[in-house]
Amino acid sequence: MATVASVWASPPTRTPLIENLVSGVDRYNPNNVGILEDYLYHQIRSEEYDCLANLAILKLYQFNPDLYNPDVVINILIKALTSSPFPDFNLCLSLLDERPISQNPDEPDPLPTLLPVLTTLYNLLQQCRFPAFWAMYRSEEAEALRDNYTVECVGFEDAVRGVVIRAVKAAFKRIGKARLESYLDLSGDELAVYVEKLGWTFEVSIGVVAVPPNLDNNPQSTVVQEAIQLPQLTKIIKHAALIA
Amino acid sequence: MSQQRTTLWEAELEEDLQDVDVNLAIGNYGQNGTYDDAQPRIDETTLLAVQQQMAQQAAFSQVPDVVKRFIVHFHQAVLENNLAEITVAYESGWNRLTEKFYAKTEWPEAEVIAPLVNDDQIFLILYRELYYRHVYSRLQPDIDDRFHSYENSCELFNYLLNSDGPVALELPEQWLWDIIDEFIYQYQSFCVWRSKVKSKTDEEIVLLSDESQVWSSYSVLNVLYSLIQKSKINEHIIALQEGKSTGEIDEIVGEYGVRPLYRMLGYFSIIGLLRVHTLLGDFTLALKIMENVELSQKSPFMRVTACHVTTFYYVGFCYIMLRRYPDAIRTFVNILNFIMRMRQYHTRSYQYDQINKTADRMYALLAICSALSPMRVDDNISNIVKERYGEQFTKMSRGEEGLPAFEELFLYACPKFISANPPPYEEGDQLAMYIEDPPIEPAQRHLSLFLSEVRAQAPVPTLRSFLKLYTSLDAAKLANFLDADEEEMVQQLMVMKQASRSVSRVDAENEKGLLDGQMASTSDLDFVIDEICQNMVHIAESTLGRKYAGWFIRNTEHAQRVFDALRNSPLPIPPKTNAPAGKAAPESAPSAAPRTGGRNVAWGGVKAA
Repeated sequence: MATVASVWASPPTRTPLIENLVSGVDRYNPNNVGILEDYLYHQIRSEEYDCLANLAILKLYQFNPDLYNPDVVINILIKALTSSPFPDFNLCLSLLDERPISQNPDEPDPLPTLLPVLTTLYNLLQQCRFPAFWAMYRSEEAEALRDNYTVECVGFEDAVRGVVIRAVKAAFKRIGKARLESYLDLSGDELAVYVEKLGWTFEVSIGVVAVPPNLDNNPQSTVVQEAIQLPQLTKIIKHAALIA
Repeated sequence: MSQQRTTLWEAELEEDLQDVDVNLAIGNYGQNGTYDDAQPRIDETTLLAVQQQMAQQAAFSQVPDVVKRFIVHFHQAVLENNLAEITVAYESGWNRLTEKFYAKTEWPEAEVIAPLVNDDQIFLILYRELYYRHVYSRLQPDIDDRFHSYENSCELFNYLLNSDGPVALELPEQWLWDIIDEFIYQYQSFCVWRSKVKSKTDEEIVLLSDESQVWSSYSVLNVLYSLIQKSKINEHIIALQEGKSTGEIDEIVGEYGVRPLYRMLGYFSIIGLLRVHTLLGDFTLALKIMENVELSQKSPFMRVTACHVTTFYYVGFCYIMLRRYPDAIRTFVNILNFIMRMRQYHTRSYQYDQINKTADRMYALLAICSALSPMRVDDNISNIVKERYGEQFTKMSRGEEGLPAFEELFLYACPKFISANPPPYEEGDQLAMYIEDPPIEPAQRHLSLFLSEVRAQAPVPTLRSFLKLYTSLDAAKLANFLDADEEEMVQQLMVMKQASRSVSRVDAENEKGLLDGQMASTSDLDFVIDEICQNMVHIAESTLGRKYAGWFIRNTEHAQRVFDALRNSPLPIPPKTNAPAGKAAPESAPSAAPRTGGRNVAWGGVKAA
């Protein structure tokens, strides 16, 4: 069975061509950066995500500063933003070496101004401060990010909602409607449709949404009993055998 | 390129030797301006050659006889591929002579000792490998040492990789590991040194801008990947795991892979890549490289202790950066246990200090992980963590206010991160800007990313301490305790929930590769929020049943040891009675065990009271 981590490390949507680049030595060939960048834009358009392929782009940028393309970096970070429970956003930042400010005044590098916005958004999601996330995302500060980037990223807002749902699903049995609205940035009918799509139920009379039981929202008190394995006893048995 | 460097080096040699009487005369020739003007250049070159030869002869005469004998012997052992003799020379001879003659100076230059080894170029490359390693570890390498050690490494790897077919050379595994280890160390050391622009002389800046390929990341990766591919080590490991026979494996790995030298260099190169990728901040790729490697002490590749320890240190560290603290804890506990067991055998090894230092850093990392994801670990290990880092651990377990302790331990224990790219040495004005406004150091960059993860889960410890007291609790009441509004508190609860789940390699048998894993609960305390009328938090705790077995096993083993000691100690009675005593021994064994146990129970009771 495919585990969470194996899907993350190697999503089923990855093509053999990309797999070859991600896993082989061809990943270091600067001539392949175009293929990987095209693949990123494919992810942007079709709600796919492949962290390792995107890290391969950043690796090429790290070794070949001439290839650096701020738009690509920003798009990678936007995709990484919503990849909980994996720390992809920071993994991407780890590969971004400090670089001198762009020498070309005609083409200012948008990354230095957008990076603090993206980082703040990431931290808000990390800290489950969802209403604050939406407020920040809709604010004037993030306007450039919205108008130039996330608008192109199909399903970005739904991806954020995915992060919310993962957090809510684990922590709640039932959650108030108003609270869920503020977390998902949806109201009224939109919320009803969304909740229905999730398979969650609206308990209209008391104004709460019931989250179906899952592995995480069903805490049980347990007592863990010890289990003795034979190897733990080998020393004793060996000694006894020697004596006998 | 190399020509230019050679002359530079000669010039320096000349300067160095001016103190020596014999060379003063030679020095005078070079410095005498009138000769320069009067004679054609060609004469000067001849003169230099003569000078150099004389200097070498002078240096040669100063090499102690015991060192000369050692080198001749060493060379002979290498020529004969006599691994036992090479090992003795490598592990003890070299170090002993270093202590005696070269504790504070370089070993003789390879050119000086060349006559002793019939100018054997391969041996001279190996000799230089040791020569430069000694310079790096005991002295201050200057720019020429750094450039030349790179050149020598390239010559060595060229010889191994680009000769006609595999070379017949054989070296001890320990040395092969040290070659790769040192290669990466010198690369890392160069990158750090290169990034310090302010302290560079004009001459160094010129050299650095001319020779931007020296110690470049691409060249280092090239060597490691080439060794991996030549040796077909990955195919080898997979074949081993599939249980293929020796014959089949030989078939698979080909003419290079069958030779121990290439096989081990290939394996060590995988570990080398793990390290290089980590140093460059690519933690996913670092673990991906290890895809086929089994982290088991039984692996035939784990015979070199230093390699074993390095592997676990970097794997554990990568797990931390991937926010997989339980996996990191398991990795560290595993190797620290191993080091503890090996300690009695390894105290004399020349690498003992290095291993101990790495172990101490792993204890620090373990303290970090345990604070972020509390987990029961082996008593022996957790006691050492408490002993060494107890103070920091207490601080780190308090959330936000513990950040300085996280910072302190992280910076102490993290790898020596490097930047992939040099400062812009070739562009004068950019270099000035670089000095004006230097980029953040790599270690600081990674630290701040790590701290952002820590900060995100800062409220968890406090919340946890409150939840532990209840089985169910009104959220408003909890918010009141925490002096927070209810919404804020609910958000913190969600953070806590996330912090108590982690991707983890639970089922190592079925999970292929170090990156694989599934979601697992990492906390003994669990809860759920039920928002009906008012928010109720329901809390459940998993407890461990009392553990008897471990206690009984320990005490039985203790009793057996006591019994053995008693039986083996001479009795102060005539030898005649000795035999019956021996015969009676097996009978007394069972009675001895409960007695020891009984005493300990009583002792436990006293303590409780």
